[in-house]
Amino acid sequence: MQPCSREMQAMNPLLNPAQQLPLQDLQSTAHQQIQNPHFDPTASHDDFLEQMLSPLSSCSWSDLKSPWDPPKSDETGPPNVGFHYDEVLASKLRQHQINGGDGGGVSSPATAAIKMMAQQQMMLPGRGVAGMPLSLGSSGAAGSHHQNDIIYGSSFKSPNQQGGEGSMQSLYNGFSDGSLPGTNQTQHFQHPQAPNFGATAGTVMNQSQASGSMTPAQPKQRVRARRGQATDPHSIAERLRRERIAERMKALQELVPNANKTDKASMLDEIIDYVKFLQLQVKVLSMSRLGGAAAVAPLVAEMPSEGGGDCANGGGSIHRNSNGNQTSADNDSVTVTEHQVAKLMEEDVGSAMQYLQGKGLCLMPISLATAISTATCHSRNPNKGGGSHPLLQSNGEGPSSPSMSVLSVQSATRGNGGLDGSVKDAASVSKP
Amino acid sequence: MNKYNPPRMNPSSLRSRFATRFLRSLSKINAKKPTASSSSPTEIFRRYRRIKVAADKSMAYSVRSRRTWSRAMLWKLRTRPCCRRSVKTSTIVRKTRHEKQNKNTTTTTGEDGVVFGVEADELRELVPGGEAMDLYNLLDETAHYIKCLTTQVQVMKKIADFYSP
Repeated sequence: MQPCSREMQAMNPLLNPAQQLPLQDLQSTAHQQIQNPHFDPTASHDDFLEQMLSPLSSCSWSDLKSPWDPPKSDETGPPNVGFHYDEVLASKLRQHQINGGDGGGVSSPATAAIKMMAQQQMMLPGRGVAGMPLSLGSSGAAGSHHQNDIIYGSSFKSPNQQGGEGSMQSLYNGFSDGSLPGTNQTQHFQHPQAPNFGATAGTVMNQSQASGSMTPAQPKQRVRARRGQATDPHSIAERLRRERIAERMKALQELVPNANKTDKASMLDEIIDYVKFLQLQVKVLSMSRLGGAAAVAPLVAEMPSEGGGDCANGGGSIHRNSNGNQTSADNDSVTVTEHQVAKLMEEDVGSAMQYLQGKGLCLMPISLATAISTATCHSRNPNKGGGSHPLLQSNGEGPSSPSMSVLSVQSATRGNGGLDGSVKDAASVSKP
Repeated sequence: MNKYNPPRMNPSSLRSRFATRFLRSLSKINAKKPTASSSSPTEIFRRYRRIKVAADKSMAYSVRSRRTWSRAMLWKLRTRPCCRRSVKTSTIVRKTRHEKQNKNTTTTTGEDGVVFGVEADELRELVPGGEAMDLYNLLDETAHYIKCLTTQVQVMKKIADFYSP
């Protein structure tokens, strides 16, 4: 028993690396796509544009979303991963600030630029932590990444704030012309590699112009990028979640007997039926121990011991034979029992069932009872008010009891479909 | 009378913990209950309820509070019989806070989600404390609950077989 729980606990740490892998793959591919153009500064600006537009458009979106997934936050991949998260958080912070700043108006471009550069300066010391060989490439990547994020920020806002976007455009125009005042500008030019920055400024220019020209198409472009990506964060999360659920279902299949691994829905039905069956077994077993050690009331539960499979097939049917050798031969006692059951049924059907089980009786649908009575020619079927009430039948009739109970078990297993339906009908009628 | 020697098993396993607790509670029930009036149906019913509650309680105590279902079951057992007495509001507050923490109801999309939505509710009713759990944790709790239920049934069967030859 213990190893089973330990296995299941061990499954959890196993799941995390499995979850981490796809995300790491995504990020590593994205990183390669980011970093390659930067390591090749001799390529033309158009190539830069194409190369950086496609992965960065996806990458920025996915990276913006990635901090939202809590279980992936403990990755221990290459330092790229670490810098990625810092950068994503900072980009979000910066976008927030820029959004706040853009609401200001005409004076916003300068403030936005200053804020952006302050952000980048804040980012750069963080870069040093990532490690020297990666710092340059990462800073270059960070630079371009930031600006693409800014572009996305502007594109997001474009339907809302035309003024804001215009200000962003003027900002980037200002960058290309080098007309923006301030020493921050020179620092911004010096920190990343110059050709990289030139490339990024070129891409920024192109993108801003593109955004300016296709303002109404910005949302379309965004949606298109999103739909085209198979590695969309939403679908990733959904896929991972489904995988986890599938693993849990597999673990459950091992616990539950009758594990036909065909369909998840049927598997879940089996699980539900098995849980109901186990709970019923506990109830019946606690009934069977009523005698205690000294005075034995031999209510040996036949159903749970031999009919394990039968009960599982029987599902939620309330018909059970928990019986034994109790003989209630007197008609008087039968009528007394009937009155008691009627009384109990008014308050609670469950307690009525339990009382019956305590007596060694069971509730049975009329069809089954008639089938049994015709088969065995034992006609002791006191009907209570016709077909609307469930039928009482005593199974503890001395020597015939084992055969009777066995017969009812067999007929229960044979006529399962009908039994369930009829029993449920009876149950539905009897319940208020 | 044969001496029942329990098989050599892990003394800290779920089965042994449950068995010792349950036997202790059973002996308590047998001690305080006079065996004369065990024929009336209500008396039988009450005794059955007591035994069942004892079984569930000892099961839940064996699991302690490591599992959501055991916590929910313990809370239910504590508050249900004491409905006459004033229920301490602290326990209720603790439970609702706990439920709010567990509440991650996510709507599953896709054909899996639609199917699971229907049966997941049924499973939530069966497993104690399953109302405020998402599907993933619910399946986890169900697995542990099934394991504990099977242990309970096996131990109770052995006890019943021993006492009623």
